Amino acid sequence: MNLGNFGNILLLVCLSASLIQSLHLLPKKIDINYKIFSRIPFFFSLFAFILLIYIFVDSNFNYQLVVNNSHSEKPLIYKIAGAWGNHEGSLLLWILVLTIFNFIFSYSKIENLDFKKNVISFQSFIIFGFTLFLFFTSNPFIQSESIVNEGLGLNPVLQDLLLAIHPPILYIGYVGYSLVLSFAVGGMLSNKVDKEWAGWLHPWVLTAWIFLTLGIGLGSFWAYYELGWGGYWFWDPVENASLMPWLAGTALFHCVIILEKKNILQSWTILLSILTFSLSLIGTFLVRSGILNSVHTFASDPTRGLFILIFLAIILVISFTLYAFKGPLLDNKSEINLISKESSILANNWLLLSTLFVVFLGTLYPLGTDLFLQKSISVGPNYYILSLLPITVLLLFIMIIGPNAKWQNDKITEIIFSISKLFILSLAIIFGFSIYFIELQLTQITLLTLSLTLILVSIKNGLRIKNNYTIIKPSLGKSLAHIGFGLLILSVVANATFAQEKIFQAKVNDILILDNHKFKFKSVEQTKGKNYNSIKAIFYLMDNKTILETFKPEIRVYSNPPTVTSETSIVRKFLADIYVVMNIPENSDFVNVRIHIKPLMSFIWFSIILMTLGGVSAIVFRVRLKR
Amino acid sequence: MKQLKFKHFLPVIITIVLLVFFYQLLNKDVTKLSSQLIEKPVPTFNMSTLLEEDQSFSTSDILKSDVALVNIWASWCIPCRSEHEILMLLSRMEGLDLYGINYKDKNESALNFIKTLGNPFKKIGVDRNGRSSMVWGVYGVPETFIVHKGTVIYKHIGPIHMNELEEIILPILGDIL
Repeated sequence: MNLGNFGNILLLVCLSASLIQSLHLLPKKIDINYKIFSRIPFFFSLFAFILLIYIFVDSNFNYQLVVNNSHSEKPLIYKIAGAWGNHEGSLLLWILVLTIFNFIFSYSKIENLDFKKNVISFQSFIIFGFTLFLFFTSNPFIQSESIVNEGLGLNPVLQDLLLAIHPPILYIGYVGYSLVLSFAVGGMLSNKVDKEWAGWLHPWVLTAWIFLTLGIGLGSFWAYYELGWGGYWFWDPVENASLMPWLAGTALFHCVIILEKKNILQSWTILLSILTFSLSLIGTFLVRSGILNSVHTFASDPTRGLFILIFLAIILVISFTLYAFKGPLLDNKSEINLISKESSILANNWLLLSTLFVVFLGTLYPLGTDLFLQKSISVGPNYYILSLLPITVLLLFIMIIGPNAKWQNDKITEIIFSISKLFILSLAIIFGFSIYFIELQLTQITLLTLSLTLILVSIKNGLRIKNNYTIIKPSLGKSLAHIGFGLLILSVVANATFAQEKIFQAKVNDILILDNHKFKFKSVEQTKGKNYNSIKAIFYLMDNKTILETFKPEIRVYSNPPTVTSETSIVRKFLADIYVVMNIPENSDFVNVRIHIKPLMSFIWFSIILMTLGGVSAIVFRVRLKR
Repeated sequence: MKQLKFKHFLPVIITIVLLVFFYQLLNKDVTKLSSQLIEKPVPTFNMSTLLEEDQSFSTSDILKSDVALVNIWASWCIPCRSEHEILMLLSRMEGLDLYGINYKDKNESALNFIKTLGNPFKKIGVDRNGRSSMVWGVYGVPETFIVHKGTVIYKHIGPIHMNELEEIILPILGDIL
């Protein structure tokens, strides 16, 4: 039997098993052994995925997907990564992640079997929908129509180690929220949305959040050094598509904490659970249907778009209708005091959702004007920066106050007293900086002071000094994540304020000066890489006569497919990155060099690692406390 | 039992409105994408040619034709292959001149492509690095422009399929030929 047919059989088994399991949701209960039917799809999608990797590694050009995305001379690692560097393969990976979550959940020790089965069945329904989509509109095992001996190659921009791991990590986050949706639907069907439910959900929300945070961070890191535009976040629609579930997921996670502690906000938590995965699905729809164009765009195909849209409609309409009927019944009567931990988390929720709304509007509004008014408007970074500025200030403020407030009721004077010293310290540092180094504007002072205060307050909250010993509190995770967020805002603002950039037309032996840095253009080297030709320009960063650093920005000319890429040369220092890119205009005796000095870049990456670590340690402490 | 309230149906209502909006977006023909060039004169460009050594392909060539169809293609582009048949058909139409721009390609593969599949073009310009076709606002290959008396009147993104040839391209050409 040929491998493609075998692959199709694997997919069909996965499809039928998940369909059978989802029949459990029908009003007339059928007895289905969930232990079998929820686990089969995992094994079969795993086999299918391994099979797909195998035909890529084998450079089996009988398959259209391999022809379109691989090349026999490509390094092994990129052959493997090529398996999910395209629409069909990444969709199979998506399904694999869906089934992994269902598989692991099927082993959880939840005694409420009715609830557990409902969750598993709804998750199976999602798996069924996606497998159907894969099988009929994006089948990775389609044979190529003509006989081909060589593939068309993988886009060289995508030949990057980081990009091999970025999608799987991002998907675990993106897709992980599917189980959160299943929890919401299962909870509503079994009338089980309470403290205990929130406790079960907690680790899953965190897991998805950790991976999504890391995934977005990696994507941004990749864009920074690979695309050569000098930026790290472009408000590209596809970036926004991953940011939106992150924002909703962050709000959700905070709500789950309240629900677990205080047994309130049931319907709101349910609503956020549905919203989070809806945004993952909407993002997928917009990207995969080709409606949004960007560097990420996959080959677009209207039937694919229509299929996802129908599936999206089914999932969303079912969940939200169920919410309309069941949601309000789940709420406990409660009152929330203005000054309390609950209220600050709720305020944080609204701020995160406002951010979400700004991003949502910025992504979809241009599509709307294009559709209804036949006019294009462009939404650039300015829109986002100006709209998000006041929200960020408020968010930082609430994040400083909130964690110091007690549950239920607290006095504002006490909270303000407890943070005032650190606030004054931060203000003094920023003011001092402004006076002695570079004069800052009011918005910069506000943002920098608040984010520095947040960092200091969170450090203080994470540690407790007892008998001269410093003890790490179980809330370390929260502190780390909040320090990370404070550091992120601090370094983003500093980066935007102090970044410098200049473009030079340089000939060999020229001296280029940017700020107080002196660069010497040493030479040009030509070499041959494995599947490309390379032209490198050598620059020295000089201090009088000594060479401090060497930069080797590069142009790569790939032959399959014919593409030219420029590789950046980055030297990371503690306080700033120096970033050099070049290109060579045709018929000229000079090269174009762009040099950026980007302050605190390493801090941006470090802050994302801190947030991720915060999530991880929250899970670790949780497991330890339970024992 | 608590009463059902309108506000609880808001999420599902918003969702449905959004879904309808998405459906509209999906139905919008991306090939009719508003181009900056539509109703504008042919952009100024100049490039070498694929078949003749010492000639160039430029704006003035297109201006010589009353009705011109400019197709941007590459030998590495699979959809271009399927589209080529249709270009061959179009090349037999009287009063219509086809021009090609070979995009980010190698000369030998491009020549091979033309040799195997036939040459529908009156002239083929070569844009090795994709820079010269930038004035055309090229997103990718294939893309096709129809020029009438020096004005760009239509832009088609992606390969021209048989049904699109019948439903879109031929009616436009019918009006002006």
